[in-house]
Amino acid sequence: MAKKIIAIIIFLIFLTGCWDARELNQLGISLIMGFDIENDKILITAEIINPVYSLEEAKGNEIQSVEYVQGIGNTVQEAAKDITLKFDRSLFIAHNKVVIFGEEFAKRGLVKNIDQLLREREQRETSKILIAKGTKAYEVMGITSGVEQIPANYIYEIMKNIRRNPKNADVDFIEFLKNYYHEGQHPVAGVVEKKDKDEINKADNAGGKGYELSTLGMSVFKGDKLAGYLNGNDTKSVNFILNKISGGIITFPTPGGGPEDFSSIDVVQSKTKRDVEIVDDKVILKAKIKLRGSMGEVIGDIDISNIENIKKMEEACSKAIEEGITLAVKKIQDEFKIDVFGFGTVFHKKYPKKWEEIKDDWDEIFSQAEFQIEVDTKLIRTGLINTPLFLKKVK
Amino acid sequence: MKNLSQTETFTYNQVLLLMIVFRLILGLTYMPVVHVSVGNQDTWIILLLSIVYKIIFNLPLVYLSNKFNNYNLLEFADKIMGKFLGTLISIFYIIIFLLANILFVTIFVEILDVALFPLTPTWVNVVLAFFACAYISYKGMTGLCRLGEVVVPIIIGITFLLVILGVNNFDFSELLPILSDSTFKDINIGAINSTFRFMDILLLCMITPSLENKKDLNKIFINSIVFSTLMVAILIVATQATLGVEYTKHANFPFLVYTRTLSVGEIYGFDSLYIGIWIIGNLMKISAFLYYITVALEKLTKKNNRLFIIPVSVLLVILTITIKNREPLLPIAGELNNVIRLLSIISVVVVPTIMLIAYFFRRKKLQNI
Repeated sequence: MAKKIIAIIIFLIFLTGCWDARELNQLGISLIMGFDIENDKILITAEIINPVYSLEEAKGNEIQSVEYVQGIGNTVQEAAKDITLKFDRSLFIAHNKVVIFGEEFAKRGLVKNIDQLLREREQRETSKILIAKGTKAYEVMGITSGVEQIPANYIYEIMKNIRRNPKNADVDFIEFLKNYYHEGQHPVAGVVEKKDKDEINKADNAGGKGYELSTLGMSVFKGDKLAGYLNGNDTKSVNFILNKISGGIITFPTPGGGPEDFSSIDVVQSKTKRDVEIVDDKVILKAKIKLRGSMGEVIGDIDISNIENIKKMEEACSKAIEEGITLAVKKIQDEFKIDVFGFGTVFHKKYPKKWEEIKDDWDEIFSQAEFQIEVDTKLIRTGLINTPLFLKKVK
Repeated sequence: MKNLSQTETFTYNQVLLLMIVFRLILGLTYMPVVHVSVGNQDTWIILLLSIVYKIIFNLPLVYLSNKFNNYNLLEFADKIMGKFLGTLISIFYIIIFLLANILFVTIFVEILDVALFPLTPTWVNVVLAFFACAYISYKGMTGLCRLGEVVVPIIIGITFLLVILGVNNFDFSELLPILSDSTFKDINIGAINSTFRFMDILLLCMITPSLENKKDLNKIFINSIVFSTLMVAILIVATQATLGVEYTKHANFPFLVYTRTLSVGEIYGFDSLYIGIWIIGNLMKISAFLYYITVALEKLTKKNNRLFIIPVSVLLVILTITIKNREPLLPIAGELNNVIRLLSIISVVVVPTIMLIAYFFRRKKLQNI
């Protein structure tokens, strides 16, 4: 009996609670953070969820769903600690879905300055990275133009739409760091841009409703420093070569149609194989894409219930992809002169000995290399209708 | 002299599971092998090759354990080397067990301090850990073996589950090119280096007299090495394929970081599963070493080993806290690995080889034992 009592006393002492326990009413839960350079110092902006929002909203009171707090310092940690002098709760960043870096911050070097984020246990390595195009991170925070009332969720949801439209980049800390460490590949990241929004419903013209965010495009890094941006089509081409296409559409001129006739194929599945060859001491970059799609839209005088015409559509789609990707590769070779496609890593795997000799000059070699592409499209579905609606089916 | 086989007996499964978890826990904690040799994408090959070296370098101990399977390591040291040298060897192994345990506890507490309880004082984590370990040791190896029979399959199952959950994140191209960035020499040096990170064979030699069937020793020795090495190789492939080779080396606790990247839909937090099995596995390993320190002291002093559990625990708590409050252990991996390698070489290869040579000289005399 005495032993049991002693055991109970010991359990009571040690199991009453965790030393590191932080109660919900002590936390400021951040869903998104922004990092900027302001007056040569690091400025952190955190979007904190407002715990009384639901309660007050139910009572009919107007209250913001989130609060914003800022801290400034010479380092990320100093800036984070600066927040504690102004904000009554302990910043909790484990739920950060997205981290936004201002353009100037990204130009100074990302990896060098995010050391603290990954050294501490709270920030998840799977949070998405976005670069605020042409502006500060805090400028794009606080905008919600969708159904989501919480701006962080709004950004996160439009980022996830890469599955439907691969004209943006879905990159997290792990992927960014992996590519940063690769000797034959430079990292890329997503982009977020603040845009004016046409006010169709004037009643909505309040607060931040005059703006919307767009994640169109991709930011390109040389090492960990921002080198520039790609437009939507080039971003899709990069995603194709990086084998990151899982959906979206390919639009192409309808075979036999007029100059304004375009058709679209929904991507069902896409698989890319990168290759590098050395021919006569010259490096040739190769990409082979196998795409399976479903007919999304047919505009033009073509009867796709005919197998010959389906073949024509497949060829037209392949050609459009080939042209788009060739243009993007050429642009990156000429403008940025850095390999964001990972052809260097392919070279390393295929010619490991040769790689040791040329790895320091790879970007130069990449920018002058010939690029060859081969796309094989297979149309596996045509939707609920066969021939275009405006064509009458004649017997 | 009373030997352990007279008091406790353990089955093949019980000892095999314990040996597997003792080795697996090292990979689950800080994956030291990712730092050996060139530390590139060929790490898993280094690890697989190390199976051969582990068998070769452990042979003297295993041979002697087979020959003297009614005696534990310290007891057959007495028989072979004589009373005086045998006592010196016993003292030497007590120090080795102590140092090894201090290292395990220090690393265990470091991960608790850094990744789980940053605000909790180190002494609280150390005291709580030893509170549990002292209790387990007090109940003897029978309790630990029975616990292992239940818990180790769960640990292994959860480890595989964590690997399977991350399959979608694997990028096997991270592990290419194979055998191109490392030379034959690099791979072999790496394999030898990773061999000397384990001292668990010492525990097997301590358990041998308690084996239900002494002939199982060789099977346990080989199977535990093969199973645990294969499992750690799978963990390394999963971690490197997810985090990349370089970031795996940057992480102090690579498999913990790997588990933090896991998600199923919007469900996260699978690292808590890892933490659970990791704490249990570590406590089992620390308890086993603690127990055999006291068994060694029993042999020296002829007093019941239970008398030593609390004093040794207190000593370990004090030493661990002293080390932990002086410097971080894992970031200075080079120095830590040098210490572990030195301890391992002396205790697993040098001293047993000397005993083996002595055995061959005194073979005829010892045949009647």
